[in-house]
Amino acid sequence: MRSFSDYLRSIDDAAFLNLFSARPDLVTPVPPDIASLAVRACSAPSLARAIDSLNQWHFQVLEAAGALNEPFSLKSLVALTDKAAAAALTHLISIGLVYPSDDGLRLPTQLREVIGNDPAGLGPASIAKLKLSDLDLAPADSKKVLERLTWGPPRGSVGDIKNPGPGVAWLLEHKFLVPLDQRTVILPREVGIYLRGGKIHKERLVTAPLLTGAQRDERQVNLAAIANISTALRWVEELLNFWAEEPADSLRAGGLGVRDLKIISTHLGVDEACAAFITELAFLTSLISIDANDRIMPSNKFDIWLMQSPAARWQVIASAWLITSRVSGLVGRAEAKNVAALGPELDRVNAGRVRALTLSILSDNKLLAPDAKSFNTLLAWRAPVRRNSSLQEELATWSLREAEWLGITGQGAISKYGEIFLSGQDLELINDDLPKTVDHILIQSDNTAIAPGPLEHEISQQLAIMAEIESRGGATVYRFSEATIRRALDHGKTGEEIKAFLIKTSKTPMPQPLEYLIADVAKKHGKLRVGNISSFIRCEDTALIAQIMGDKKLDVLSLRRIAPEVVVCDHDAADVMRVLRESGYLPAAESSNGVMLMGARANRALTRPRPPRIIGEIEIPSQELLEGAIRAIRTGEKSSHKQIRLRQVANEALGALPRSTANETMDLINRFILEEKSLSIGYADNNGSVTHRIIDPLRVSAGSLIARDHATGEVQSFRIPRITGVAPL
Amino acid sequence: MTDGPLIVQSDKTLLLDIDHPLSTECRRAIAPFAELERSPEHIHTYRLTPLGLWNARAAGHDAEQVIDTLIKYSRYAVPHSILIDVAETMSRYGRLRLEADPVHGLILVTTDTAVLEEVIRARKIAPLLGARIDAETIAVLPSQRGQIKQSLLRLGWPAEDFAGYVDGQAHAIELVQKDWKIRPYQELAAEGFWHGGSGVVVLPCGAGKTIVGAAAMAHAKATTLILVTNTIAARQWREELLKRTTLNEDEIGEYSGAKKEIRPVTIATYQVMTKKKNGVYAHLDLFDTHDWGLIIYDEVHLLPAPIFRFTADIQSRRRLGLTATLVREDGMEGEVFSLIGPKRYDVPWKEIESQGYIAPAECIEVRVNLTESERLLYATSETENRYRACATTATKRDVVEALVEKHAGEQILVIGQYIDQLDDLSETLGVPLIKGDTPIKEREVLFNKFRTGEITCLVVSKVANFSIDLPDATIAIQVSGAFGSRQEEAQRLGRILRPKSDGRGAKFYSVISRDTIDQDYAQNRQRFLAEQGYSYKIIDADDVFQGKL
Repeated sequence: MRSFSDYLRSIDDAAFLNLFSARPDLVTPVPPDIASLAVRACSAPSLARAIDSLNQWHFQVLEAAGALNEPFSLKSLVALTDKAAAAALTHLISIGLVYPSDDGLRLPTQLREVIGNDPAGLGPASIAKLKLSDLDLAPADSKKVLERLTWGPPRGSVGDIKNPGPGVAWLLEHKFLVPLDQRTVILPREVGIYLRGGKIHKERLVTAPLLTGAQRDERQVNLAAIANISTALRWVEELLNFWAEEPADSLRAGGLGVRDLKIISTHLGVDEACAAFITELAFLTSLISIDANDRIMPSNKFDIWLMQSPAARWQVIASAWLITSRVSGLVGRAEAKNVAALGPELDRVNAGRVRALTLSILSDNKLLAPDAKSFNTLLAWRAPVRRNSSLQEELATWSLREAEWLGITGQGAISKYGEIFLSGQDLELINDDLPKTVDHILIQSDNTAIAPGPLEHEISQQLAIMAEIESRGGATVYRFSEATIRRALDHGKTGEEIKAFLIKTSKTPMPQPLEYLIADVAKKHGKLRVGNISSFIRCEDTALIAQIMGDKKLDVLSLRRIAPEVVVCDHDAADVMRVLRESGYLPAAESSNGVMLMGARANRALTRPRPPRIIGEIEIPSQELLEGAIRAIRTGEKSSHKQIRLRQVANEALGALPRSTANETMDLINRFILEEKSLSIGYADNNGSVTHRIIDPLRVSAGSLIARDHATGEVQSFRIPRITGVAPL
Repeated sequence: MTDGPLIVQSDKTLLLDIDHPLSTECRRAIAPFAELERSPEHIHTYRLTPLGLWNARAAGHDAEQVIDTLIKYSRYAVPHSILIDVAETMSRYGRLRLEADPVHGLILVTTDTAVLEEVIRARKIAPLLGARIDAETIAVLPSQRGQIKQSLLRLGWPAEDFAGYVDGQAHAIELVQKDWKIRPYQELAAEGFWHGGSGVVVLPCGAGKTIVGAAAMAHAKATTLILVTNTIAARQWREELLKRTTLNEDEIGEYSGAKKEIRPVTIATYQVMTKKKNGVYAHLDLFDTHDWGLIIYDEVHLLPAPIFRFTADIQSRRRLGLTATLVREDGMEGEVFSLIGPKRYDVPWKEIESQGYIAPAECIEVRVNLTESERLLYATSETENRYRACATTATKRDVVEALVEKHAGEQILVIGQYIDQLDDLSETLGVPLIKGDTPIKEREVLFNKFRTGEITCLVVSKVANFSIDLPDATIAIQVSGAFGSRQEEAQRLGRILRPKSDGRGAKFYSVISRDTIDQDYAQNRQRFLAEQGYSYKIIDADDVFQGKL
């Protein structure tokens, strides 16, 4: 009988290539030899991974193989399944889930465990010889029992095995049921297969189920996709611009709070799921960063991103999305707690795989917007999951939704941009197909301005300052109001500049009311001035004020006269008083509500007191903890002692350089410094070659051992990490 | 990318470029399902609302038609989410139906039991329902027909109402088009209403809403109750009906403070309907005691709250609401739609103007300065008196005087809010004043003199805001108003919008105190008209004095 490793030794390079490309985990890291490759390939995790890549039909064939006794033949496999099993078998062999031995086909040793004890719901093979044709003669009661067990699970429970009902009794008697324990009986595999009519599956899903859905028009798909692409780019840009103005705070547990997500969703005019998707996109592409104060802000990568062409910008976000294991669809789900966007709980192992599978299904079915039900059926065939299948369906649903948001699909069908993107070709096409930017707006008399298309970046930035965006989409509607004009003035524009900009940019004449609005606000803007100041000097005698302003001795105060009777100063009132007194003036203090302050002023600190911390004794741990610690130390000691002994024996035998572990090294060095004894060390130089030195250790300083080298007679420093071992002389 | 006139925004607004050659065609195509929000000079804004989409469904349009229309005229690709949303919203309509059952009376029937289960569990709906008849049917209290429709609408499951309307007592009414013809848009509006069963028709002031009412009556051919704002309006309705229809004097009754006549066509005022006697609304019975086939609400934006409540109970009668400005500062527009019925017809003011059915109007804001002492008074006055302080500045009087002089010979209305300001103006200008306490008789005499041209200038208080038909008034001068009321501004402009015999344009002056709250209010007031495409021109009081206009 040939083993799996023998089989591996017999196959050629092409077969290895197939095997490794289907199961990359076999070569990461590269195994040293075929034996260890075989061990890895037969390990349960690797087999499970390989099984996960099977489609429903291949899995059925594998289950059938699991139901056969080894070695088995193709013929017996076909008998249990379908003629098409031959092709499936070739695939299974190529990925190492079945292998041909000299006496027939065999399975890698652990495979049966991985696919489960009851492949396809069949019990174990019978030990006794069975006369299966007797089954047809079974009494009605027994037939009922058999019906229950036929399609698995093959186990059934009985009240008491010693005293079974008549139906069970007949079956037990004929060995068609085998007792497992007091209360459980099992249907032997042969009986199961016989009852299933010789095939082990109800349906043999040889071919993929048909994908149905709405047939789309190619032009419409691409139009919709390009609209989605431009929208996605706009969303990301607007999100980041928004956060640049008002950075969000990250939650203590990480991630974006529900309220902040809501704000984003309102600001962008999308639902919260979509808002979460956009924030995640920005996160994946490092367009945002979370700073030390937990503030979420655009990173400087955003500025670089903005300067790229739309196609390049889109490629950045789409590529990041394609491979990420983060699933924005989970945001808002209440598990243990609310799952937050940008939070730590969004990673799912399967996300990337399901996304790739979803996109590949879409690519295989051009111009088809699949309906959810048939899509899930096909997905379940392409990637049958045995646990948590609802998550896979959800992942696929979210992938479809996100592909639409990104414009990889349009109206639910794969777009040409999506195809080009997935094939890794140049996306230049997007730049040509995006709606042309417009360089003008239309101002109307109801104080709105409309940009009838995507605005040039420069203009849209300017407008965003002086008007509020009222509606977004292909076009943008801006509204001017007193507040927005004031904001533009606050940004340092003058009324004239605003007017000139609007006249230049608008295709329609500027309505007079808007002109007046700008002029009115500009006239009022800045009439009141507000500033921070530490102290003031006021005096009803303007002559005295003039004198103070002219006094050279007071220059240190850098006084500023803001009104005929008021002078302000950035120094503390007490200092100002002192300087004034020193210069011969007679100032009096005044409180914030204008009351004259008299009398001695006792100073008080402005900050809260912080008494010194008490350095206390360390609390003594409980008896149990201490005992545990002692046990651990003793065990560790024992094993390391044994190791040292062994190593010493080996060292002596080989006459090698001293070797010790890092902890032992420090330990020995410290001891020898105290004992002032010479010792022998192994020391590695810059090139890694180790030399043998005899030294007198003096002290340890900043990670180095200062010692006298016997060879040179000089005091020299040895870096401790480079000391490979220490031994007494 | 096509080069269509329509831009579909992701927030469900539709922007229509009216300078585009296809704009008229597109406007007609989207009108059945999109609601007109603003119509300034270049780009009109429509909105896709559930209500609008459901109305379209009710009128026999399906989601596919709506989506095709959007795609056909759209300049850029239509956001997919909108297409899905349209289909989804429209599919919600008609899952529930209100029907009249010979055995159980009014019933709620569904084809989708899940929906029925959902709605009957709603807190607002449960008390309106009767016994469960079977899995798909449940009885509804007949008196709650309006209420349940309203509540279902809010839940997002509008019920299609198949229960029909009572015909009311038949009464022959025909239009008599001898020396006039019904205008195309009036006919469309009346037909739109009739097919929809009930609803609101929105037409600019002066565009002939009375005729739409008359045409609706000619469709209904049944006894009609007409509710109007005041007695003057009631008399105007009466005259119009006598002139335009086969009705004679004996068939039309007036139900007001002065007279209580109930005739086949009865015109009642809101005031008398809402008058309380011993704590109860004594006259609301008028709705019930007679078998009306049609109820018309004139100036439906003014509908008072008690009538709102009562209207909910008469859902089996046909209802027609008429208004020019369905903007309520109290935000009750939604209530109007759900109780009277959805908007059946709406058209931009400027479109009617371009067809010559209302006079072109120029809106001018004249800014005056407060005197120094007034400024001080204004700055120190309490918040509640500030508007009055600046709106009644003495400078306004001089400006009004100059304006009246400049337009001597034309029919001028001076409109204001504060009686002492109006008294003062009336005295300065030497013209009569009509205010709240002017007896109806005297008002009629004065209005008649104004119509015949015997007097050319009138000072009026807010009593003349609505429904007063003064065909030859060409100049309106507004000196103060009800704070920032948008619809008051529009209604006041409406007084001078009747097309003039000589095709002259109208002028609407609004005199405003500069740098005060008056100016802020003016901005808000002008918003409705600005959105209808009226562009205000701002001039300085000095320009008026120096004759530079």
